[in-house]
Amino acid sequence: MERRFPFLTANARVAVRLTLVLILVAIVLAVARGPVAVGQTTLNGLVAAGYFSLGAVGLTLVFGSLRIINFAHGDLLTLGAYVTLGISAIGLPFWPAAALAIAATAGIALVLDRIVWEPMRRKRASTLQLFLVAIGLAMVIRYTIQFFAGSQPRSVGQDVLSAIVVGPFHLGALQGLALIVGVAAATLVGLGLAFTPFGKKIRALADDVALAEVSGVDTRRMIRLVWLVAGGLAALAGVLYAAAVGSVNPNFGFLILLSLFTAAVLGGIGNAYGALAGGLIVGLAQEWSTLFFNARWKPVVGFAILIVMLLVMPRGIFGSGRARS
Amino acid sequence: MNWRRRFIAAVSVAALAGILTSSALADEVALTIGKLLELTGPLSENAPSQDKAINIAVDYANQAAQSAGVPIKATAISADVQGDPQAALSAARALVAKGATVFIGPSITPESIAIANGLTIQKKITVWPVGTSMRLRTIKDEGTIFRTVPPDSLQARAVAAAVEDKLGAAKGKVLSIAYRNEPYGEGLFKDLSAAWQAKGGKIQGPIVYDPTQATFDSEAQQIVDNNPDAYVVIDYPDTFAKVGAALVRTGKFDPSKLVVPDALAFSTVPSNIPPQALEGARGTRGGSDTSTQAYKLFDDLWQKAGGVEHFALDANSFDSTTLAILAAAAAKSADPAAIQGKIHSVTKPGAAKYSPTNLGDALKAVWAGQPIDYVGVAGAFEFAPNGDPTISRFDIFEYRDGKLHVIKQIDAAE
Repeated sequence: MERRFPFLTANARVAVRLTLVLILVAIVLAVARGPVAVGQTTLNGLVAAGYFSLGAVGLTLVFGSLRIINFAHGDLLTLGAYVTLGISAIGLPFWPAAALAIAATAGIALVLDRIVWEPMRRKRASTLQLFLVAIGLAMVIRYTIQFFAGSQPRSVGQDVLSAIVVGPFHLGALQGLALIVGVAAATLVGLGLAFTPFGKKIRALADDVALAEVSGVDTRRMIRLVWLVAGGLAALAGVLYAAAVGSVNPNFGFLILLSLFTAAVLGGIGNAYGALAGGLIVGLAQEWSTLFFNARWKPVVGFAILIVMLLVMPRGIFGSGRARS
Repeated sequence: MNWRRRFIAAVSVAALAGILTSSALADEVALTIGKLLELTGPLSENAPSQDKAINIAVDYANQAAQSAGVPIKATAISADVQGDPQAALSAARALVAKGATVFIGPSITPESIAIANGLTIQKKITVWPVGTSMRLRTIKDEGTIFRTVPPDSLQARAVAAAVEDKLGAAKGKVLSIAYRNEPYGEGLFKDLSAAWQAKGGKIQGPIVYDPTQATFDSEAQQIVDNNPDAYVVIDYPDTFAKVGAALVRTGKFDPSKLVVPDALAFSTVPSNIPPQALEGARGTRGGSDTSTQAYKLFDDLWQKAGGVEHFALDANSFDSTTLAILAAAAAKSADPAAIQGKIHSVTKPGAAKYSPTNLGDALKAVWAGQPIDYVGVAGAFEFAPNGDPTISRFDIFEYRDGKLHVIKQIDAAE
């Protein structure tokens, strides 16, 4: 088993360990603060984890395979949400509009590769240059959205008040949907990378572009596939977040971006399961922290964990797993 | 000959008129007012009404000056402060470059502080912010910042009074307070908790949240925990849209126990805020005595102008603009320092009282060098040495069917 699927086995081992640690922490917290409070904050943490994981998967995929610190990724989330609102405004129901918006955003990500990233690759731009281009691109996308849609918050028009109530616990219905889709999408991308021919080629691309080309991999095609998937996932994350929260403004993707980076780096950059795990840790840790500290410290907790984890595991949680395997 | 004499007489009269006109034009005070508006950002709901109030004040003062024969003409130019201190400073610099020598706005206190520290203190430019935070008074503004809006030290008393009014008593009652982690929330919380405890009430919290975080469900849970007697949420509309939804999702939230301050005062609840989060909630905002002739005149001008409905503090923006124009007329100059030096002389207690209804007379009086006491749409302005009003009127309102209804007015004083 381990020889046939060494990648899966290493990841699975890390996943099991991580799950056990999180369950243990939850039990300790429940003893200290009571099961209801801990149960509810855990649910809230899982919801946040759903947003972070889904958003981080595309980010980690782009960095892992193309070495681009894509600062424009957050704005692709925003773009997905606003394109959905735009299509809805001409009469299409929200969810079909969302499907079209996801496809459109994936297409835009592909176009941006053709007109921005591909020329930069040809000129062998350095990581810093790519980083600066990404920041510029982020601003272009944000201000273009602002130009067409205005800067005021916009209502998404979805039912953000319905909740699933089980005993003392409650979870927003759309939050639950976002959580399920987020985990499913991150897992699917992870499985796709591990088992499909496309996934193998993308991993080959991530390891060494020149070697992948020599081995017969159509790297240009694979790069386009990466942008399509990353753009689509970003739009999906944006649409689900907007639907669950109820309103959007042109800055929301940018504001959430640092948490996405934290999740991606914490989990092990370039690893889809890592993005899932990183999002889970950041989301749970932030919400659990409110049991002990004022909520004002919540955003700090994620970054504090990131610093500590990077000191202990510089390659992130799943990065370590891969290294050991 | 007759025609020749007539021609010479006509030319002489025309020349004399030309000389007199050019002399008058040379003496005319041309005041450029810079509008620092939140056209984008978290308080962008405010900008249209603030813009309209300033424009109405400028047009009305220009007409009054013309009718009274006072040679002053104001124009207003605007820039977007974006809810961001650095952007606000850039906007203010751009307006100064275009000739602005007095500012109305901005609405967010960190923006006012950035503008004061980076520009207006050095140039002695008077700033009339709409922000209410007491943090504004932590800087040495050298007498350049005046507010017609009630500071949060006064609003806190009004909010405490609104909660007491709702509960019937304060003694022993628990008030759960949550706020957005910004100077507005922090300052108002401190004054409110002191005011509530002074009445014998108890405080739960505060629950403080960052507006950029992804979810607010844990915070909402903490607000409603232990079933407090009332809750106060100090927030801006964009974040409250999310916090309000999270509060409703807890299943334990009773909106009729909620009291909100002025940043959440809307004529109609915006579409991005779930109506269930505010239905039956009460709130406070800077108010004006709507029975006065000054208010009726203001409302008449407002309705004639068309466009947006009344919004919180629009009367204060009108009064700030009018006071700036009166001070410029008193100074006979658009020079920033000269305007600054005359503000106390147009709001002088004990001097002859004027209001918007006789603004032409007020302009004549100040042009003649007389001190006056301008009583505006929002009431009298007795400025403390720091430039804040020492007494203010507040509306206590309630949301019913998604609309704001003023249920009473109270005065809060230092």
